[in-house]
Amino acid sequence: MSWMEDLLLLGIGGIAVSVYGVVAGLLLLGIDRKLVARMQARIGPPIRQPFVDVQKLFTKQNIVPEHAVAWLFNGAPVVALVSSLVILLYLPIGSIPPVLSGYGDLILIMYLLTIPALALVAGGFSSGSPYATVGAQREMVTMISYELPLAIVFIAIAWRMSADGIGDPFSLVTIMQYPLWGLVGPLGLIGGLILLFILLLVTPAELSRIPFDTPEAETELAGGLLVEYSGKNLAMFYTAQGVKTLVMASILIALFLPWNPSGLLGLGGILAAGIDIAFFLLKLVVVVFASVTLVRAMVARFRITQVVGMYWLFLGLMGIIALILLGIDAIGGA
Amino acid sequence: MLSTTFHTGAGYWNPLVWLGVFLLLLVLAYLFWFRGESGYRREGEQTKPFLSGNRAPARGEMHLRASHLYWGFTEAIRGYYERVVPAHTGVLNDYLLWFLGVMSFILVIMVVIR
Repeated sequence: MSWMEDLLLLGIGGIAVSVYGVVAGLLLLGIDRKLVARMQARIGPPIRQPFVDVQKLFTKQNIVPEHAVAWLFNGAPVVALVSSLVILLYLPIGSIPPVLSGYGDLILIMYLLTIPALALVAGGFSSGSPYATVGAQREMVTMISYELPLAIVFIAIAWRMSADGIGDPFSLVTIMQYPLWGLVGPLGLIGGLILLFILLLVTPAELSRIPFDTPEAETELAGGLLVEYSGKNLAMFYTAQGVKTLVMASILIALFLPWNPSGLLGLGGILAAGIDIAFFLLKLVVVVFASVTLVRAMVARFRITQVVGMYWLFLGLMGIIALILLGIDAIGGA
Repeated sequence: MLSTTFHTGAGYWNPLVWLGVFLLLLVLAYLFWFRGESGYRREGEQTKPFLSGNRAPARGEMHLRASHLYWGFTEAIRGYYERVVPAHTGVLNDYLLWFLGVMSFILVIMVVIR
């Protein structure tokens, strides 16, 4: 295949996955809102509500505060959405390999995850509002807090695979081919479950959802880093939030729940891909329910110092314990 | 596959492909953003920073000082900083002693493990 055909395929695949990312992301936000409402004995908005919100925001005034740095204030929401969509291109969808498979691995994904958060920080600082400035500062602190446990999860899984002599352990395609649960013994299983628990708790922080929504904190910072945003800029951030939700759930599925039903059913071709995608979408809803919906319906917001303590001390320590358990498991299995 | 992919031994990535896809989606997202309403009423209160009805201070007075940028992080692990900050005396002799001490400790550990 020539490099021109390569580029064409990447372009078409990129656009197709981006459309899927926006639609599925907003759909996940709608399902999350509906489920939370039901758990709080409310009827809640219809599942299509995020689409209506975005459509309406695009017709509203796009106010740029007089103290804002206009180009950064307007550019941050676009960069947040684009950088979230690009991560999606490195992630598998069901049994379909990533569009950018072979062009980036798990370490790259970990770095790319910081770009949407940095866009939020840039937007907050550029808006010239005291609330947004404090929100942006908190977003940075939250980001450096969850990086440690997130890095431990990624490295622990890849290290356990490399201990078994599996090549390219940071490749998501490899990780899906050799699920962690099939490599480990009882101790490694406990270590794997701890890593799963850590990633489930990193997800709401990555998405700035309760109890880790200190950067936005409606009741104390009036929306924090988004306080000055309105109209289409707010719509872009909201859409990026949906895409990031999809990204985090897809990462968790790829690392811990990579199974597809087509192999068990002995199916092939388009039918297998369709069934695998349907099953993948079902897993997305389950993961978002467990890591976002259930958590935010049960727990109140943490203070920023509690967020740091939780990730660096509690989850950091748990991550190291998981790493030790996987290490003992690897030595015992060798 | 394009031949511009970097291999580190454990991982790999292709910055050109990332940049190309990023720019493509940036153009598309900008066109999407551009279709929305751009205008807004410039007179009145709505362009002033929101501060719960209080008068916002001047622009230069609302920025965080660099020492406050990581507040929350430094506050949560204050016990660590209370010990580490005084150790930074600014005296080169102290730093060299620390360097030699830590280096000897690491070498001892390496010898013991081997």
